[in-house]
Amino acid sequence: MRMRLKLKTVFVLYFMVSLLGLIYALMQLGQRCDCRGHAMSKDQQISQLRGELQKLQEHIKTSELSKKTDVPKIYVITPTYARLVQKAELTRLSHTFLHVPQLHWIVVEDAPQPTPLVTDFLAASGLTYAHLHKLTPKDRKLQEGDPSWLKPRGAEQRNEGLRWLREMGAAAEGKEAAALEEAVVYFADDDNTYSLQLFEEIRYTYRVSVWPVGLVGGMKFERPVVEDGKVVRFHTGWHPNRPFPIDMAGFAVSLRLILTNPQARFDGDAQMGFLESSFLQHLVTMDDLEPKADLCTKVLVWHTRTEKPKMKREDTLQKQGLGSDPDVEV
Amino acid sequence: MPKRRDILAIVLIVLPWTLLITVWHQSAIAPLLAIRKGTNDGTETRHDTGPATDSKEYCSQDKDIVEVVRTEYVYTRPPPWSDVLSTIHVITPTYSRPVQKAELTRLANTFLHVPNLHWILVEDSQRRTPLVTRLLRETGLNYTHLNVETPRNYKLRGDTRDPRIPRGTMQRNLALRWLRETFNSNSSQAGIVYFADDDNTYSLELFEEMRSTRKVSVWPVAFVGGLRYESPKVNAAGKVYGWKTVFDPHRPFAIDMAGFAINLRLILFKPQAYFKLRGVKGGYQESSLLRELVTLNDLEPKAANCTKILVWHTRTEKPVLVNEGKKGFTDPNVEI
Repeated sequence: MRMRLKLKTVFVLYFMVSLLGLIYALMQLGQRCDCRGHAMSKDQQISQLRGELQKLQEHIKTSELSKKTDVPKIYVITPTYARLVQKAELTRLSHTFLHVPQLHWIVVEDAPQPTPLVTDFLAASGLTYAHLHKLTPKDRKLQEGDPSWLKPRGAEQRNEGLRWLREMGAAAEGKEAAALEEAVVYFADDDNTYSLQLFEEIRYTYRVSVWPVGLVGGMKFERPVVEDGKVVRFHTGWHPNRPFPIDMAGFAVSLRLILTNPQARFDGDAQMGFLESSFLQHLVTMDDLEPKADLCTKVLVWHTRTEKPKMKREDTLQKQGLGSDPDVEV
Repeated sequence: MPKRRDILAIVLIVLPWTLLITVWHQSAIAPLLAIRKGTNDGTETRHDTGPATDSKEYCSQDKDIVEVVRTEYVYTRPPPWSDVLSTIHVITPTYSRPVQKAELTRLANTFLHVPNLHWILVEDSQRRTPLVTRLLRETGLNYTHLNVETPRNYKLRGDTRDPRIPRGTMQRNLALRWLRETFNSNSSQAGIVYFADDDNTYSLELFEEMRSTRKVSVWPVAFVGGLRYESPKVNAAGKVYGWKTVFDPHRPFAIDMAGFAINLRLILFKPQAYFKLRGVKGGYQESSLLRELVTLNDLEPKAANCTKILVWHTRTEKPVLVNEGKKGFTDPNVEI
């Protein structure tokens, strides 16, 4: 009898305690709004201060950016060709480049002469640039309907960029020449995506630096494999036996190396996928490669490709002579 | 034979705990506690008052939706308000796929040039993903990170045109709702709302054009409707009187999502205006919202009376990942 009584009391007590706990919790929830009310003004203040702080930091950054002359220059060579999405690609590319200090953009058009679209665009871009052009010979050019991998693209244009750099290098003297010793050259296609961090990784390259590239080679990313701080092989799913199984966006070369190796150029007749190797094998061995992006473990550049816009209706209209105004630049 | 008393006792024990746990779970006490502990990095967590508010969006239209979508708002880094420039609230729905980080990265690189921009990124996911969370934090932009998952039976399969919810609708609606809950119409803060998809390309000039929007402003968009560009038709008086499109030019608003911007005040003034979720014909999504806000006459043409292209409806190719194979060739821990 006594045992039972005790148990009963225990149960009742337990029930009361848990009920009180529940009521307390519910009250807590009810009060939540009030708490938030109090915290909100403080939160708002802190957020506002943070926002102002950020604004000031950005302001300092931009003024620093223009004054930063003591960091090595990055020469970015971008081959480009006229097609519908060209202006869009160049536009968003320029938005990325505008954030990078000491970047010199070398745009090489696949055209017999500079086009007004690119000329006007570069002039309004706010970037430091060189506008070149070099027409791909017909037999090397991809025809309409050819798959993109049939012939290597941009070889002539990149070589033209190299030629311009070598010309500049030969003409430079004194302080200018010294600055060129530290500069870096990067080949950036106009449809890829580049993070801002990438350029800071590239900037200090002694010979040839390498890093992973996302969305290329039929994989999520390709990368050099690093052991003990040295590149030992390449992790790629496609033709890993190439001398340098790396994408154009996955390496940068010091300008000094380019100037001291005047014969190094891209071979326009190279087999598919061997374009990069045709250039790099004259410059460096795998042993000398400098791994960047946290010893090649981070993806800072993506090999994105833009779809060709569907123009069925436009084509139909044009046949009827009712096409969109060609004076409106797209 | 269990005695009635014992059963009663067991019920009385279990009941308060079940009540407590359900209430606790629903309100997700954890973030609340975090706030009270003073983890005050400007984070404010708000919660929907239960499933009722959410299901209202769909149940009224049809009854086969049983799944309750719970939404969570996280509002971090509120923009510093400027007295002079209107804030541009850019609403971007996004979803996980291999090119997501790349798209958001280059979009952020563009947005970083626009003063007084507030990016409202809405993920189509059950929870806010670490990838997007980290990306937003590192960009330095003013942002609000939201998420709402489109119910699986509503998701478009690939690119097929389904009579289901066009992609991004629920996410855009959530952002509109967030704006209405955050700002009141009496506020003097001027704002412009723009719907920017994560794969389009925007010029910097576009944002300055839209800043002066009084009600709804419009402009041409490249690469839509199977044309070089689609554009509103503007008469000599500077008024929009039609649409220069081939695809159904008789839609109330034959314009792409990227081709218009709305003044925040109008959004707040008409709190019932949302994108229609179901039964929307292809190409009528934008009309479903705009017709509740404005008439053709009220539209303000920008971009030199709709003669310049300042935004391109680019689409990114789906990357070929054949070499990953079934088991995946690359390290899954590396974020792309």
